[in-house]
Amino acid sequence: MWFELFKFELKYRINRPETYVFFGFLFLFSMVGVDFIFQGVEIGLMKKNAPLVIAKTMGAITGIFMIMVSMIMGVPVLRDVQYDIEPLVYVNPITKRDYLLGRFLGSFVVLLLIFSGLLWGMMVGSLMPWHQPEQMLPFNAFSYVQSFVVVVLPILFFGASTFFVTGMLSKKLLVVYTQGLVLFVIFLLTKAITHEYLQGLLDPFSLTTLTQVAKDWSVEDSNTLGITLHGILLHNKLLWVALGILILFVGFRQFSFSVPAKKGKKSAVGDTVMVQENSNNDHPIPKVSQQYGYGAQYRQWFELIKFYILSLLKETSFWAIVICGIVIIISNSVNLGTVYGVDSFPTTHFIVAELQEMSLYFFIAILLFYSSELIWKERTIKQYLLNDAMPVTNVMVLTSKFLALHGIYVVLMLTLIVAGILFQVANGYYHFDLKVYFSGFFLEILPFLTLYTCMAFFFQVIAKNKFIGIFLTLIFFIVNVGSEFLGFHHSLYKFGGQPLGTYSEMNGYGHFLAPYLWVKAYWLVFGSIVIVLSALLMNRGAITPLRKRMGTLRHQLIGRKGLFLTFAVVVWFLLGGYIFYNTNILNTYWTSEQEKAFRANYERTLKPLEYLPQPKIIAAKLAIELYPKTRSYDIKGTYQLMNTTDKPITAIHIQKRLASHLDLKEVIFEGGAKADSTHSEFDYIMYHLSTPLPPKASLQMDFKQSFAPQGFEHDPSDTQLVYNGTFFHNTLFPSLGYNKKYELHHPVERLAMGLPQRSNKATIENENELIIARSGSDSNGIMLEVTVGTNKDQTVVAPGILQRQWTEDDRNYFHYKTNHPIINFYSIVSADYEVQSAMWKPADTPSQPVALEIYHHKTHTYNLDRMMESMKASLNYYSKNFSPYQYQQLRIMEVPRYADYAQSLPNTIPFSEALGFVLDIDDTTDVDMAFYITAHEVAHQWFGMQVEAANVQGKNFVLETLAQYGALMVLKAHYPENKIQQFLALQQEIYDTKRKRATHEPSLALVENQDFIYYHKGAISMYRLQELIGEESVNRALQQFITDWRSYTGKLKTQTDRYVTSRELLAYFKKVTPKHQQQLLHELFETNNELDE
Amino acid sequence: MKLVIDNLSKTYANGVKALQNVSLEIPTGMFGLLGPNGAGKSTLMRTIATLQDADEGKILLGDINVQTNKHSLRKVLGYLPQQFGLYPKISAEMLLHHFAVLKGIAHAGERKELVGALLQKTNLYDARKRHLGGFSGGMKQRFGIAQALLNSPKLLIVDEPTAGLDPKERNRFHNLLSEIAENIIVVLSTHIVDDVRELCTQMAIINQGQVVLKGNPLKLMEGLQGKVYQKTINPSELKSYITHYNVINDKRFLGKPRIQIISDVPPGDGFLAIDTSLEAVYFSQINHQN
Repeated sequence: MWFELFKFELKYRINRPETYVFFGFLFLFSMVGVDFIFQGVEIGLMKKNAPLVIAKTMGAITGIFMIMVSMIMGVPVLRDVQYDIEPLVYVNPITKRDYLLGRFLGSFVVLLLIFSGLLWGMMVGSLMPWHQPEQMLPFNAFSYVQSFVVVVLPILFFGASTFFVTGMLSKKLLVVYTQGLVLFVIFLLTKAITHEYLQGLLDPFSLTTLTQVAKDWSVEDSNTLGITLHGILLHNKLLWVALGILILFVGFRQFSFSVPAKKGKKSAVGDTVMVQENSNNDHPIPKVSQQYGYGAQYRQWFELIKFYILSLLKETSFWAIVICGIVIIISNSVNLGTVYGVDSFPTTHFIVAELQEMSLYFFIAILLFYSSELIWKERTIKQYLLNDAMPVTNVMVLTSKFLALHGIYVVLMLTLIVAGILFQVANGYYHFDLKVYFSGFFLEILPFLTLYTCMAFFFQVIAKNKFIGIFLTLIFFIVNVGSEFLGFHHSLYKFGGQPLGTYSEMNGYGHFLAPYLWVKAYWLVFGSIVIVLSALLMNRGAITPLRKRMGTLRHQLIGRKGLFLTFAVVVWFLLGGYIFYNTNILNTYWTSEQEKAFRANYERTLKPLEYLPQPKIIAAKLAIELYPKTRSYDIKGTYQLMNTTDKPITAIHIQKRLASHLDLKEVIFEGGAKADSTHSEFDYIMYHLSTPLPPKASLQMDFKQSFAPQGFEHDPSDTQLVYNGTFFHNTLFPSLGYNKKYELHHPVERLAMGLPQRSNKATIENENELIIARSGSDSNGIMLEVTVGTNKDQTVVAPGILQRQWTEDDRNYFHYKTNHPIINFYSIVSADYEVQSAMWKPADTPSQPVALEIYHHKTHTYNLDRMMESMKASLNYYSKNFSPYQYQQLRIMEVPRYADYAQSLPNTIPFSEALGFVLDIDDTTDVDMAFYITAHEVAHQWFGMQVEAANVQGKNFVLETLAQYGALMVLKAHYPENKIQQFLALQQEIYDTKRKRATHEPSLALVENQDFIYYHKGAISMYRLQELIGEESVNRALQQFITDWRSYTGKLKTQTDRYVTSRELLAYFKKVTPKHQQQLLHELFETNNELDE
Repeated sequence: MKLVIDNLSKTYANGVKALQNVSLEIPTGMFGLLGPNGAGKSTLMRTIATLQDADEGKILLGDINVQTNKHSLRKVLGYLPQQFGLYPKISAEMLLHHFAVLKGIAHAGERKELVGALLQKTNLYDARKRHLGGFSGGMKQRFGIAQALLNSPKLLIVDEPTAGLDPKERNRFHNLLSEIAENIIVVLSTHIVDDVRELCTQMAIINQGQVVLKGNPLKLMEGLQGKVYQKTINPSELKSYITHYNVINDKRFLGKPRIQIISDVPPGDGFLAIDTSLEAVYFSQINHQN
């Protein structure tokens, strides 16, 4: 008998269009599955069809489409209830076992057929021509089948069992819709578990599990090893399959083969009190007025919104989603701008960012389900005949439902805000920045939800049932997000536009806000058009085919609605036109393709000029007028250029910074020159000198540069010039010769453009790079004199000694000048600062006293003492153990969080507001990272400012690793040993994680741009070294190293034009290392052997 | 004011001709629309109630064209559909308030008074706080009429209102209806002849989408006066009687077929003349057609 039911189920499903729609969708989605799931994830040398990648993609896609499993498996029993035929079915002489078995197996087989779309789709997708051949392994069908069987089948079984049982027992369609989401929520919850094994065991989609399986795999292993059931993966799968069986069993026991409607009614009938029978003729119906004026409509609107909100609040499933959300938010570890394991103070913008991230998924779930619920509610409960005959317009009904849903959003957002404030209170933090709370939700999230709600309403209105409506909305979502991946970026056609840029406490939303608001206004007007159209297309009364409803549009459009639509369309076009005028006419809009082509072209055309002998800048004098309010500037500059080669130089090549609205003019060379504009398309002008510049001679070059942004750009991500917190480097000014930074970097992009591979550091033997200290360096050291004018409320900090500060024309002016050469890499910052200052006087060293200053945002005072303390401690240690400090000032300047680093420049340290200023350091549990980072940056005043390293492999070992060492020693001198161990353990952890993802791992001596080596491994290795040979010996070596190699005055440096490399540094270490430990020294720095713990 | 239905036709996508050239003129008072299941009554009612469009023809209430000016009609319309559901988790009072809002009763005080009065009138006042999910069929039906009356309609459409009600509930419902129907147009569709006989001053019989008879029930009965005859026969004879006589009805009486025929002259053959009834009129039309 069960077989008959089984066959019936199959036949039924074969005739349902959903079966094919699901299959087709999974198939198509899976074709781009790997690219979609792994977009933005660096998989290194792992191939795109490596078994591990396939398995993870399959797991993730199954997770995303769990809702499909629930829609297929949840309905077989429910269907009978829905169509009111359960009494007819249940009275038949079939056993419960046969009935359930037939329905379950039938649906499960269909489910497998549908999900085979995933398997076929991924196989076909891997054969598509858009992949780069070197990113692929030869096609191997077995890896797909194996991953499918091992990863997908068990979780499909679990999902199938669970959803079948819940659908069967709850008999509610909404449960079916929601439960796929619940499983996803469980998945998210497992992410919050910190125990590694447990996390891997409990992850339903086995993503974490797979990561753990492959934990110790090399790249080679990942590309070859198949995914087999063993170890933690086996446990994981056994657990979920066993759970599935258990749920089936319990469900079977619980399911009662009787019509459950009785159950529901029993209680109802129980309290049906027989109403007193009395004639009620003595109750006359009062005369009332029906009003349809504007005032009445407004009240009607209000009442309807209230009613629909209430009706949503009565949904059990709504509370289920809300409670799920609360559980997740509570159980999730809150990440508050954590820096090396230290949390920040729970400032409002951190809390908002966390709440946004965690709640967004729930908002989307609510959007999807309750837009469908609101549109279809009356029809589902068959009340629509009453409602639809009421004298109320479609627009009124639809907009009140629309606003009711917004009411729910707003209430939830307010709840989240209250929760955030409570969290702050619980953590003893009382600066509630309500403005940030409100803008975070109502400016960033709400418009996004509004726009998608418009679309969801539209799709629900045109769809035949809510189920198709949800599906269409989801597809729209995915396509809109995915289109970005295909190169559709422009906010004029990318639905909703871009999210709002980063919030900075210094700069607020800065110049991101205006374009964001314009684009949102544009789309909101579009949304209003969509809503009105939806209202016109809304089904009223009997179901009418969409085509027919469209037919009625024309004569509906006369009158007020038509007028509104015309008006809205006009406004929409005007807004679009305004945006287009700003992004594409006032500014140049570059598609990523255009940009790539330009960069490739730049490289192809100008690369031959890369090492063309050019003079060096030996002095720069700049007069800069900054206008922060308009983000513009005017610069008058003078360079002294000296020929350091041994041949005369006939032409000087000037590269203007590539940016729009940036004007470089009046470039005048002493003695005259003729401009050659052959390469002007790259803003690269060759000036042929009237008289060649002989060796050792110098000449003066004058220029004027101005920048005046017009309107707004499509991508306003340039954050060098902002309202408060302008922070730019001298890279803004004209540079000499070919500029490597404009080259394409990404290997795949380079390949696509037909460019050769590019190493990210020159080899240690490269003669051209050995004589420069920075990529494309134009100088071996300059004397700098700079005068900067800025707004009245801002302070400018530049390198050198402040000569004079004055106010003129209501503007602040600052004149800085260096008294000995500095590296040609410096920054200029301007912001509304407060200053904390102190004086450091050296104890017994020949250094001069040093003025210490921290320029900070007025509320960021938490760690100033720690930073100041660190500056003093660092200066003490370094000047005592390495060499005297070379300047009379040391300044830290806080810069907006767009830059998320700290950086050491001549006597100045720009320090991100995201880094140390708001860290909430608990000295019992945390390492004092504000102290450490400061010490690291101060160390760069030695390693970087005193000694410069050649721009080749190992450069960052010399600069960064030594700075790590210095900071570590300062930390050691100030904090107990256990803090050092805590710090080192964290370094070890980061190193271990990052090296697994790396494409290759060089030794420290030959390190390129791998930060996990020069920072994390570097810190550990240097600590080992000083344990091995003693801190004293290491310092002695470094002292000698600096004496020999310091720029301008070093004993060895003055005899050569090349810069120092890791080879020389290692030689100093070798000299102080006893013979029997030389091997260890070699292992630490010249091999990539694993560090044993 | 009159409701004029002019030459209304509707064919469904599956080919079923639900309405064929239906023309009716419906005056103030209770109008009965009688017909078997599937005759097209509900289609007609839904079309009048603006919930469905006809392919051809038009409907006018006074000078309101129902097809093109649905909104105006809805303002004066009360509609009680044949089958409907209600928000299960909401109280009767609250939902009735909601409907009152939808009907444009914007003034909160008026609304409250009105909802209270209608709940009293329909005997639901004591149950007003109860969730509608727990209402019995009769209570639901009374709630339905309460919502239809919210706007003191000029046109009230009630589609099969008494189907499924017990006799007591049905009586109560009839009383309510006839009380309302004094000054307005009430269109009552039913397949129960007694409903029409008890309530309506005008009626039409509709079958297979066509109006087959219309008029005053008494006058229609008069037309058949003296022409209806009845006889109890053996089951085996039924076929031959059907071929020989104009049989309009066969019922069972004590297990045997008892047939009614129409004949202009006394048929003899054991037939007895009986009083005419509206039922006879109905069956004469329906079975005649079949």
